[in-house]
Amino acid sequence: MAVYRRPARQRFVLLIVTLLAVTVVTLDQRGQASGVVDRIRDGASDVLAPVQSAVSSVLSPVGDFFGGIARYDDVKAENARLRRQLEEQKGLVDRAADLEREHKELLDLDGLTFVGDIPSVTARVVSTSPSNFEFSVVIDKGTSDGVAKGMPVVAGEGLVGRVSEVSRERATILLLTDTDSRVGVKLSASGDVGVARGRGSRQPLAVDLVDPGTKAAKGEIAVTSGLQGSVFPPGVPVGKVELARTTPGALQATVRITPVVDLRRLTFVRVLQWNP
Amino acid sequence: MSRLRLLAVVVLVLVVQTAVLARLRIAGVAPDAMLLIAVCAGIVGGPERGAVTGFVSGIAFDLFLVTTPVGLSALVYALIGYGVGLVAEGTVRSAWWIPVLTAGAASAAGSVAFAVSANVIAGADFVGPRLAVVVPVVGVTNAILAPLALRLVAWTIGSERKTALAP
Repeated sequence: MAVYRRPARQRFVLLIVTLLAVTVVTLDQRGQASGVVDRIRDGASDVLAPVQSAVSSVLSPVGDFFGGIARYDDVKAENARLRRQLEEQKGLVDRAADLEREHKELLDLDGLTFVGDIPSVTARVVSTSPSNFEFSVVIDKGTSDGVAKGMPVVAGEGLVGRVSEVSRERATILLLTDTDSRVGVKLSASGDVGVARGRGSRQPLAVDLVDPGTKAAKGEIAVTSGLQGSVFPPGVPVGKVELARTTPGALQATVRITPVVDLRRLTFVRVLQWNP
Repeated sequence: MSRLRLLAVVVLVLVVQTAVLARLRIAGVAPDAMLLIAVCAGIVGGPERGAVTGFVSGIAFDLFLVTTPVGLSALVYALIGYGVGLVAEGTVRSAWWIPVLTAGAASAAGSVAFAVSANVIAGADFVGPRLAVVVPVVGVTNAILAPLALRLVAWTIGSERKTALAP
């Protein structure tokens, strides 16, 4: 009886590509090839940047059209929400001025640095992460504009994330919602501190290590704690408390915050040239 | 398989993935064209070409990811491309929907494999409720894109093996 045998060449090719991939993963994980990998990554990013920008600007109306269809329910819900907000805003204007004054006073009391004094670079968001598992955006500024790895990034309302990769012309910002993102936060009213952890797009951030006796309440603003060694300056708004509760016997409270910045619709951001 | 054609197609698909498809998200999930060309290479060209195309497309994709080690997508995509090639070898390609269905199912399986590998190798927190959204969306959107990708990959390979959609 004839027995089918898979060609040796097929098995050999599989072995070679598997070994190659495992070797690259191991070297990158151990940091032994980080210099080489970073140079290749930066080069690829810079080489493809003009092509990506051109293709993106030509085809973005198509993408936005189909994206709009896919998000029709979101757009409808957002429209209703904006109408409600507009009405609420009328009454909130006076209260906001009051809160702003209070906020400034609190910052002064705590001796926190005013974020506006930190030199910054304004950048345009040119693309989002191609991956379905990580949440990042690419901006059109890089080392040639003074952007460096680790720098905090903010938008008008508050914190967006931090620079995780940078090449000459481009930088990748790891968003707050990424599962790798960790930010030290302080709840502005109750004073509790914790670590806000990303849980993916459309999911509120989880705040770990909050004392079970916390008095955190819904709507309270969480700002960066700026504790010693923190990579973020203190006092930058991060999110609004959506849920705060303590389960009997739990070692920490369950706190969820919604980012103050709409991370799905970023156009311009500011990179803070801040060193801890 | 022309190496130049393979490189050209990988760069083209990478640009389309980063500049166009990354915007076309359904429930926050985009099609995975880099995985799709590995899968299509397996369908059109067999295990060997599936593995090589998967390795090249994966390593190119890895250069644009920041939270997982370089080489992880290459490893997963190469294994998926090889596996699809083995399955496709034993499949009678008489109906147009068989390669489309295969591409969708393999893409869904590839997404699971990537999430699990990232979890095990890099400690990434990718295996969670979100994976239940990513898997079906990638499966369906990649199946929709499969007819186009199959033709593109057949041109790259200069295929001697034919499918109903890549004549």
